[in-house]
Amino acid sequence: MGRVKIARKSTFIDMTAMSDVTVLLLTFFMLTSTFLQKEPTTVVTPPSVSTEKVQETNFVQVLVSPEGKVWLTMNNDTSSSWSNEKMRMALLDKVSEIYNESHKNKVSFNAAQKQAFSKLGSFGVPLQQMGEFLNLADQQEGQTKMDKWMQGEDMDKNHVTGIPISVSSDENNLNEFQMWMKALRQTENENLSQAIKDGTGVAIKADQNTSFDVIHMVMDNLQTIHMNKFTFLTALKAGE
Amino acid sequence: MAEVQQNSGGNGKKGAQKKMQIRVDFTPMVDMNMLLITFFMLCTTMIKSQTLTIALPSNEKVENTENMSQASADDAVTIILDAKRKAGSTDVDSVNGKVVNEVYYYFGKPGGDAGIFGPGGVVLSENNNMQKSEFLADEVNAGKHTAKGIREIIQKRNKDVLDEINKIKEKYASGGFGSLETKADREKAQAAYDEAASAIRKNENLKKPVIIIKSTPQASFGSLVELLDEMQINSISKYQIDNMTRADSVMLIDYQNNHHGN
Repeated sequence: MGRVKIARKSTFIDMTAMSDVTVLLLTFFMLTSTFLQKEPTTVVTPPSVSTEKVQETNFVQVLVSPEGKVWLTMNNDTSSSWSNEKMRMALLDKVSEIYNESHKNKVSFNAAQKQAFSKLGSFGVPLQQMGEFLNLADQQEGQTKMDKWMQGEDMDKNHVTGIPISVSSDENNLNEFQMWMKALRQTENENLSQAIKDGTGVAIKADQNTSFDVIHMVMDNLQTIHMNKFTFLTALKAGE
Repeated sequence: MAEVQQNSGGNGKKGAQKKMQIRVDFTPMVDMNMLLITFFMLCTTMIKSQTLTIALPSNEKVENTENMSQASADDAVTIILDAKRKAGSTDVDSVNGKVVNEVYYYFGKPGGDAGIFGPGGVVLSENNNMQKSEFLADEVNAGKHTAKGIREIIQKRNKDVLDEINKIKEKYASGGFGSLETKADREKAQAAYDEAASAIRKNENLKKPVIIIKSTPQASFGSLVELLDEMQINSISKYQIDNMTRADSVMLIDYQNNHHGN
């Protein structure tokens, strides 16, 4: 009896088709998605039936943590004459001007600090500490230190996280958050001023579990400086 | 790896071209692509946030109050948001990390026509006209939606407007605003529908409620957005966010004390 011969088959699998598919998928992801913004605090926005999409440019995002801390993020039109960098520089000049009008302890920033500010994604430290904060940018591991400060995980007890905000209904005695918002309107960026007027220029992003008094404080602050129209960022509700 | 096999053309004719078989192993390429896809899936987002536009009234003092529209007590519906508290405490209770919303409402004035405060500021709890409701999804029965909870209450109050809106919705579906065949047609019909809907919402002859949204400090932002959604769903044209008054707080505490454990 002769042995049955088993034909040796090659285990070579043609991966060309697989490769085609993965490249297509990759292209799809690269084209459709946007990079996640690093934010000082993670919030889950509340679901809503509103289908209005968020603006891509010309708005300021006010990030509110459940503890009532506030950070700002600029989103400007990169194609127009007001890039994010230019806008932030103008904003810093304006806000220090407003701040110095009412405070004895004046703030001023040098060119390097302004440069560092123009590179910031989101920001949220008191103006008095802003200089110290911006100096970190040139240091070793400066970015990590800045991130930690912004997230409130800094070792230094003196470092304050978040833009100072308080209950304020006096237009002549603004808190720092109101100064920033006022400065935004006063920079000569027409597109942003128009967006703020239309109500699309200011977007409040808060967690769904944030208590109403925190939101109420932010809304009141904006109302005091006559920014009566703004938007809430929400997530799309499934169904309905 | 890439291999080039050459047939040792044993039985080939003389002069015939040698057949070359070229195979490139794409496995590492696929590996790398998969890694890149994983990176993009983890580091990017495809969901764009939605926005909800809010317009608060100006807080400037108005000198001329003559032309201001006054909300009559009949039309007023006050909705108060609160968060569920832990038993025997004022701390906010949460389930699966989400604050439990509570929603209360009353029609007209607090305490009805008699008011909630008696002579000398005594609280008349028998006049408490506050009621409790819930945020509930529609009950769907054979494709027919029936509103439940707070939505049912709002819809009952806004019946006139909603009836009209439903009429034009049917008209839209049956092509009354133009054909729905092509995309351009649909957009045209949608624009005509939106205009008609907006006219209905603004129609002064229809009876419309004025909804006043109030909230305790503990209520969650999520519940506020949910209630603002209800305004949109139920085509409410007049609503505003206001501060709690003393009467509101008194009624809320009174209600919660009387319905303990419910």
